[in-house]
Amino acid sequence: MYGMVNKSVQALVTTTFGIDKWESIKRKAGVKEDVFLSNESYPDSITYGLIGAATEVLGMSADEILFAFGEFWILHTAREEYGDMLSSAGRNLPEFLEYLPMFHIRVALIFPNLKPPRFECSNRKADRITMHYFSHRPGLSVFVRGLFSGVAKLYNTPAQITQTKFKDKGDDHDEFLVYWGDAAKQ
Amino acid sequence: MTQADFMIDREQFSKLFPFHFLLDANMRVLQTGAVLARICPQFCVGQELNDHFSLFDLSSDRAKRITPELISRRQTGIFIFESATSNLSLRLQAIILRDPERYLFLGSPWVRTLKQMQLLQLVMNDFALHDSTVDLLQMTQTNDIIKRDLYQLVADRTAKLSLANAELSRVMRSKDDFLSAMSHELRTPLNAVLGLSESLAEGVYGEMNAKQAQSINTIAESGRHLLSLINDLLDLAKIGAGKMELELNNANMEDVCQASLRLVLGQAQKKNLNLTLAMNDKSVMLMADERRLKQILVNLLSNAVKFTPDGGSVTLETMWDLESESLMFSVRDTGIGITTEDLKRLFSPFTQLDSKLSRQYAGTGLGLSLVLKLAELHGGSVTVESEIGKGSCFTLRIPGKGLENAIRGGDKGAVTISEISPTKILPSNTPLVLVADDNEINLITVSDYLRANQWRVIQARDGLEAVKMARQHAPSLVLMDIQMPQMDGLDAIVHLRADNQYAKIPIIALTSCAIGGDRERCMAAGANDYLSKPVNMKQLVKIMHALLPKDETR
Repeated sequence: MYGMVNKSVQALVTTTFGIDKWESIKRKAGVKEDVFLSNESYPDSITYGLIGAATEVLGMSADEILFAFGEFWILHTAREEYGDMLSSAGRNLPEFLEYLPMFHIRVALIFPNLKPPRFECSNRKADRITMHYFSHRPGLSVFVRGLFSGVAKLYNTPAQITQTKFKDKGDDHDEFLVYWGDAAKQ
Repeated sequence: MTQADFMIDREQFSKLFPFHFLLDANMRVLQTGAVLARICPQFCVGQELNDHFSLFDLSSDRAKRITPELISRRQTGIFIFESATSNLSLRLQAIILRDPERYLFLGSPWVRTLKQMQLLQLVMNDFALHDSTVDLLQMTQTNDIIKRDLYQLVADRTAKLSLANAELSRVMRSKDDFLSAMSHELRTPLNAVLGLSESLAEGVYGEMNAKQAQSINTIAESGRHLLSLINDLLDLAKIGAGKMELELNNANMEDVCQASLRLVLGQAQKKNLNLTLAMNDKSVMLMADERRLKQILVNLLSNAVKFTPDGGSVTLETMWDLESESLMFSVRDTGIGITTEDLKRLFSPFTQLDSKLSRQYAGTGLGLSLVLKLAELHGGSVTVESEIGKGSCFTLRIPGKGLENAIRGGDKGAVTISEISPTKILPSNTPLVLVADDNEINLITVSDYLRANQWRVIQARDGLEAVKMARQHAPSLVLMDIQMPQMDGLDAIVHLRADNQYAKIPIIALTSCAIGGDRERCMAAGANDYLSKPVNMKQLVKIMHALLPKDETR
């Protein structure tokens, strides 16, 4: 995974729990890097190691951490580092979600070593959309749900995100139903 | 092969070219792409192009009116159309259609940052997929992030290095302080050893038999050897700390060579060595620190004498090396020689070539390391050639810039040494000297020597007592140790100088610290002169005589 993801884990832990906790997590995960470079490719094992160590050090479940990390990634890391890119991806939540598949294709073209996930959209309605998530990386569906939640917050749009298909339960991919507007209040 | 004809509808065309527009022969709008229509709604069907856009001429930086002729003339180039009412610029390619004559423009907004794109109310999805504008903008932003990351990394590393440097400086300062303290601790007892040996040898404490005299000579010789080792160590430490400063003068090289040879003459005579000086220009003057240059030459000559078997020869030869514009000093011997392997580590500190050699030939292995560093301080170098069993040749090169073949000068006034006679009762008009030192042995050594040389002596053991004694007895001269309890020597000097009665009393500061800056501190406090311990008693007496008014000297 690119350094921006690890950097984000670092930022989430240090801003929320302090630098000492981050150092403990790094030690526990056996990570030696002082600094993560956003566009440098790092082994996925580093990210998984950091998240695993964070569950122990922070006393939180992996799902809690992954969801918080997903929201944080959008609302802090991406907004601070890729703010213009994020804003240019859509004027509102539905536009952003619709553009997400293309966004990842473009990212894959720019970062040749990155193996980004693939997204697809279907059933676009006035108040909802179905998002399909395909990735060779296991166990990140909660992180993706956190990302969607973060995007909704970014656009100040109350939304409800429900996972409807689960790759780790035998489906061929993960699927999310995203509601906004009145549908989200139901 | 038949060209395939195909039709695409207006919506499909608009999806492929969301910023396109089609003009008639009068430059009026016939059709616009969906996104262009959204961001530029006034530019609609029937509108004249020049009412909304002008051609930006890249070469002249001026806007131009757009005409069919101009389009025809430039149709192979890129058109930049600037909006008259907004920040929108379009980067376009023109296609001229015939029958009827129409002008089709394909392209997209000319934007260089994602921010610019947002200001135009555009999102990435507004661009056609075949249009690489968005990719380029994303790449630009990514590169900016990479740059920022790297700057941050460099800044972090620089901050860490600065911290490490600060810590290193602190350690270096501690090392200097330690060396300064050690210098004091080592020199104080050595002062007593050398001073008392000198007094004994001169019969201050009575006559000695031959065996006792020989033993005292051995003690003095060992003490002087120890002192030279301490001095070498301190010099190396000073150079390491960057505190060694050369006192460059226009020095006469024959004098330097002769003086250096004189210092090893005794050793050479003992081994029946033939000591020779060969100079091709005896009047040569060189800008150098004379004392340090002698130190280098004496070191090289001593080594040559040490490692040359009885009956051999040692030659000091000087000549100009025109190529490197330097004066070469070659110390050539017919000694045991050095192996190629040993030559590599010859100039490393604390290197003795082998244990056998170190047992046979005394030394710390500091000499050559110091020689090299002193030569480098002069901007020079030292090289060596050697052959086992035949001898070695060490060549020192000192740059000759600033050299003047000036007239040899300088009156080298000879030092007259007074005869020392046994202690006797002194008349009351004999000069009274106050000796202030907290070290009992130093106090006794100096006092005894002075008394033996017809001075009256009073003593103080700290700065406070020194000031008190000076006020009580009004001595003719004060010898002030610097590191003392209660009040140090510097403060005591300042106190005395503050009192009009003692403002002009000669004060000689004595200190065991040989780290730079002591002399300046002593002189600034008000001392008339300064001597570093171990004190050469004859030199001290000479200075005392020089400082006393004529009618008070004995």
